[in-house]
Amino acid sequence: MFYLRLFVTYLRIGILGELEYRANFWISLVQSALDLCVALGGLAVVFRHTDTLGGWRPEELLALVGVYFLIGGLIRTIIRPSMTKFMEDVRQGTLDFTLTKPADAQVLVSIQTVEIWRLVDVLIALPVLSIALLRLGARLGPVDTAVFAVTLVSGGLIIYSFWLMLSTCAFWFVKVENIQVIFMSMWQAGRWPVSIYPSWLRAVLTFLVPVAFATTVPASAVSGRITGATLVGTVALAAAMLVVSRWFWRVGIRFYSGASA
Amino acid sequence: MEQNPVIQIDQLSKVYTVNEREAGLIAAMRSLVKRKTRDVNAVDAISFTVGEGEIVGFLGPNGAGKTTTLKMLSGLLHPTGGSASVLGYRPWERNRDYLRRMTLVMGQRNQLLWDIPVIDTFELNRAVYRIPEAQYRLAVDELTELLELAPLLQKPTRNLSLGERMKCEIAAALLHRPSVLFLDEPTIGLDVTMQRRIRRFITEYNQHTGATVLLTSHYMADVEALCKRVIVIHHGKMLYDGELTGLADRFAPFKTVEVKLQNGLDGRPLAQYGELMAQTEGRVTLRIPKDDTASVTGRLLAELDVADLTVQDPPIEDVIEHVFSQSPSPLDDPDPQQAQSG
Repeated sequence: MFYLRLFVTYLRIGILGELEYRANFWISLVQSALDLCVALGGLAVVFRHTDTLGGWRPEELLALVGVYFLIGGLIRTIIRPSMTKFMEDVRQGTLDFTLTKPADAQVLVSIQTVEIWRLVDVLIALPVLSIALLRLGARLGPVDTAVFAVTLVSGGLIIYSFWLMLSTCAFWFVKVENIQVIFMSMWQAGRWPVSIYPSWLRAVLTFLVPVAFATTVPASAVSGRITGATLVGTVALAAAMLVVSRWFWRVGIRFYSGASA
Repeated sequence: MEQNPVIQIDQLSKVYTVNEREAGLIAAMRSLVKRKTRDVNAVDAISFTVGEGEIVGFLGPNGAGKTTTLKMLSGLLHPTGGSASVLGYRPWERNRDYLRRMTLVMGQRNQLLWDIPVIDTFELNRAVYRIPEAQYRLAVDELTELLELAPLLQKPTRNLSLGERMKCEIAAALLHRPSVLFLDEPTIGLDVTMQRRIRRFITEYNQHTGATVLLTSHYMADVEALCKRVIVIHHGKMLYDGELTGLADRFAPFKTVEVKLQNGLDGRPLAQYGELMAQTEGRVTLRIPKDDTASVTGRLLAELDVADLTVQDPPIEDVIEHVFSQSPSPLDDPDPQQAQSG
């Protein structure tokens, strides 16, 4: 409850901060609209030639685009800016202020910057996802919807934990911003179901950079192709990664405060 | 003043392991595989106690270990040895109750958010520290009045001058009414008026709330105005802990004697009375060993046409400089830190 209220405060500050730079809103809007056009245009081109892509039908792929924009929007709104700020704080030593606050440092670090205009991606995702779900509606029961929600949350947590672990490396290497760039370009691949990729790339997107869990898996939940094993695996992975990233964060903090020296 | 010890430090030490690398590409490549490290004693077995409500100045040249000590006391660094207790807590355990009762201000870094009005950073700290609304209002009003923040609160941080920003920094750090303040160079880079204002504020806060303050500064004026007691460290070791006035007795056994002569100097050899510090037409400043002050002034008065004569303690800057120049620097250290590879 406390952290929720804290998040709302950060959100408010994010809005205030971004209002100072109004041009950003229009830039974000144009950028997101372009992204969406590219994504939908890609779908249109593909389905002009074929009815299914790697077994995925148009509305299922539309759902995937929706998930891609939703999770991507959350990454760009909260995770990426917060983690960027965190790395900056490590380099400049201002992390000290976060560590002297009477609240969990990991939570503070993870929600400290909200780039509010990036929510445009989320706003775009919602109608896309709704249209896709409506079209799939006839086959979509409450169980499917629940499974979809669970995989969506799990996917988000997996991405968050993964990103936290990458950022935590800043304690040792100080400059790790480039990792984020690499991640965001891998993320682009999540626009398509991983099953269409060659097996080596599929393995990379699943196990090395867990993009598949945040995009393909939730989308397969609404298209009825998810297996029980995948569902259990995704939830288990999310839990495991939360625990491991938390542990790694603590190791990093301990290193930062010199307990290891 | 020594009623309740708020800060207790015993044999506190911090050793940093730093990487050493020789110049050159080959050495750089070699260091990728095998690193040479060296231990640096940033803080070397220091012990002191600070009582409730005391303002203690923590002095030392750059790299003496002041900031490292403050960081250990505010829970940011784990010590390598020794113990410390602040308000009964071990700082580096970062107990939330402890963190709620202390604050750290670093003159060289800021915690105010750059793009948003100052008051919103205050709001954020209110949320983080869970300050009740009424208490928060009171604190903001009080700090606004004491530090004259009223015209600044609605401005984004980036539009503030350095001095204005520092005032807001201090206010942001005190909203939760901490009872222990660690101030690391709170007046650095500020003009004299602003320094004075911040000094006055620290005194007021201390008197008002009975808070304990440990402060570092390179400005002797800060120390003289605020601290009765100073702790001097150099190369991580403690050199002095006591009254500020006693510092001169201990490290500078000199007095400064200024003599004004009736008929100018007339080329008289004044160096026989003491060390010549300064000399202008008809006016001479001499440094005289403290024990000889009476006899030398007697001789000066008897042998010369003295128009005016004053005896003073040397300025505290000179004393401090004297202290630091006397102790050896690590470069001259005959027994260098042991090098190890790892």
